[in-house]
Amino acid sequence: MNENNKITEKNVIETEVAMGPVHSAAIEPYRVRLFVEDEMVKDAEITVGINHRGIERIMEGLPVEKANSLTEKICGICSNSHIWNSVLVAEKAIGIDVPERAQYIRVIMEELERLHSHLLYLAHGNEVLGHETFAMRIFYIRETVMELLRMIGGNRVQYGASIIGGVRPRCELDAMRIQKISEGMDIIEEKILDFADRFVSDPMIMSRITGVGVLTRKQAIELAASGPTLRSTGVETDLRTEMEAYEPFEFNVITQDDGDVKSNLLMRVLEIPEAINIIRQAIKHLPDGKITNRSWDMQDAPITKSYIEVPRGKLYHSYALEDGRVRNSIVRTPSIANIGAMQYAAVGHHITDAQLAIVQCDPCFTCTDRAIQIIKI
Amino acid sequence: MTAVNSLIAVIGTLLVALIVSVWLPGIERKFVHARIQQRVGPPISSAGIMAPLKFFFKQTINPNSPMPKLYNALPLISLLSVIFILLFLMPQLYALAALTSIIAIVGLLKIEEVIYMFMGSLSKSIMSLKMPFPDIVKGAKHPNTTRTFMEELSSLRAFRLIAFGSFPLYIALFIPVALSKSIYLSGIVNYQQIHGPILFTMAGVLGAIVFFIGYMILLNEYPFVILKTKADVIEGPLMEYAAKYRAYVYITRGFLMFVLASLFTTLFLGIPPNLFSWNILVTIAVALIFPILMAIMSAFSPIFTNKQFYPVVAGVSIIGILALVVSFL
Repeated sequence: MNENNKITEKNVIETEVAMGPVHSAAIEPYRVRLFVEDEMVKDAEITVGINHRGIERIMEGLPVEKANSLTEKICGICSNSHIWNSVLVAEKAIGIDVPERAQYIRVIMEELERLHSHLLYLAHGNEVLGHETFAMRIFYIRETVMELLRMIGGNRVQYGASIIGGVRPRCELDAMRIQKISEGMDIIEEKILDFADRFVSDPMIMSRITGVGVLTRKQAIELAASGPTLRSTGVETDLRTEMEAYEPFEFNVITQDDGDVKSNLLMRVLEIPEAINIIRQAIKHLPDGKITNRSWDMQDAPITKSYIEVPRGKLYHSYALEDGRVRNSIVRTPSIANIGAMQYAAVGHHITDAQLAIVQCDPCFTCTDRAIQIIKI
Repeated sequence: MTAVNSLIAVIGTLLVALIVSVWLPGIERKFVHARIQQRVGPPISSAGIMAPLKFFFKQTINPNSPMPKLYNALPLISLLSVIFILLFLMPQLYALAALTSIIAIVGLLKIEEVIYMFMGSLSKSIMSLKMPFPDIVKGAKHPNTTRTFMEELSSLRAFRLIAFGSFPLYIALFIPVALSKSIYLSGIVNYQQIHGPILFTMAGVLGAIVFFIGYMILLNEYPFVILKTKADVIEGPLMEYAAKYRAYVYITRGFLMFVLASLFTTLFLGIPPNLFSWNILVTIAVALIFPILMAIMSAFSPIFTNKQFYPVVAGVSIIGILALVVSFL
């Protein structure tokens, strides 16, 4: 039945281990085919698109405020990133100035989100390693961040902080909230540093993750990997250094050299104190003034693009405006390139390490699925 | 009258073993794992009592097993093999001679291990079931591959555990044999009543350490559980057994914990399980201590992969052989 298929049978690998699209090993719907010989992975194929909702299609023709709100539903982890970037598109297109205080609050929300995303990644990574205790303890640390997000946005998952022209009044930071954030940062910093010490000094953990799932720098660049996945191979790139909102803040761009699971885990561990550092700077120098600029008029605009650095890498949003409604919306999440890169990272390792090699890029499958562009309907 | 007493002792000891064993998984999870992981944990009765009870009243679903009757019988056979080990450990049955020897115990333990392997290989989960059409979607890399099952992979690993991973336990079992110069349990127990417990000798201490590592491997506990690349997923027996069959798997695990503790007290302390002796409290204490120690070790360990598992097992086996040499000297 495969007569017309271009892949010749000469190259066919004998055994395949298939998982998914629905499998209890996978936290999200995706399909992994591992082609193995004597339990060594010779090739890997990851298929996404199973949970596609066509969110860009739903956004088509919606009033821009509603469309922005909808983007928050793309992802349950980086919801703030999506709505912020979507709002940025409209602000760029119309030319709206955002009050400085609102920019600071947006950065605080984004860095809090980075904290909880990285902590979730570390917990999940340890769970895949089979180290339940570390996983549970990191979830415990993450609770502090989740409660801070709930305090500011009123919700643990979707905060709806950014609106066109600033941030929602609900997300205004008063003295009590600033105090709580400050205390929260102290707690998280103390606990994450303690965890980092124990993590890197555990010989069993280190032997389990060192040299596993290696992605070379060349591969990462060729495959357009982004964010911590790219930085873990030694490429010093972070869109935050180019973003207007991050101009007032000083922070280091963390890189690692090896591109393996260890580098990816350490990337997140080391980025957490940097995020805490940014939040502390933001609450210390939080400017006075209003948090929303309402003096703007809706106008038509051609397709406008916006890139921001989110916890997993580079996030792209673009759309045009027509009578206050969204046209030709496209969303591209960093996971789609990072997941593709993991097909290469899994190859050459024992099948036991394959799942670990795949999840090292912090994949968000449903986030990626929802972002597939519908070319023809 | 003696026969009746013996019968009461055997049945009573079995009942005590069952009562204690159903609490062991709960103690392990609630008082050790959950405490270390700073969470509340499940109720103590959940893992060993409530879960099996619940499963007994659930509707059974059958996977696509090539031998469904054998597949369904395996959990019960496994449980019976473990019960027989306990029976042969009891002094009332030492008259059965060959059946109460170390060789018989090793054989029954091997049955339990082999069944564990078959539980995986015969299950054929729907999660990795071959689709009824060839994979010729656009971009598929290798459309004509033979698909294997996660459970088959698990089964292969269970085979490795049998072939390699159980070395430490079996070496440890033969240390009392070497010291007492008897393969019969009665001989080993009598030797210790005269010379004191083997545990308090150099060979005994080394043997106890090796026995404990073997105990963890046999119970498929972290970090030795190479069957699980991702927790609770690849392990064949827990993948597809449902309802009462799953309940048997759970009960067997708890029972095996108690039986291995009884084996330890018999071989290393000279205390066989016997309802009519206060020494049964020692057996119960060891049955409680072993899971607690195991849970502490497993709570701080990631799962070993093959490259970590083999050197550790080889190292422990060498310690076991050293203990054997010491016992001969």
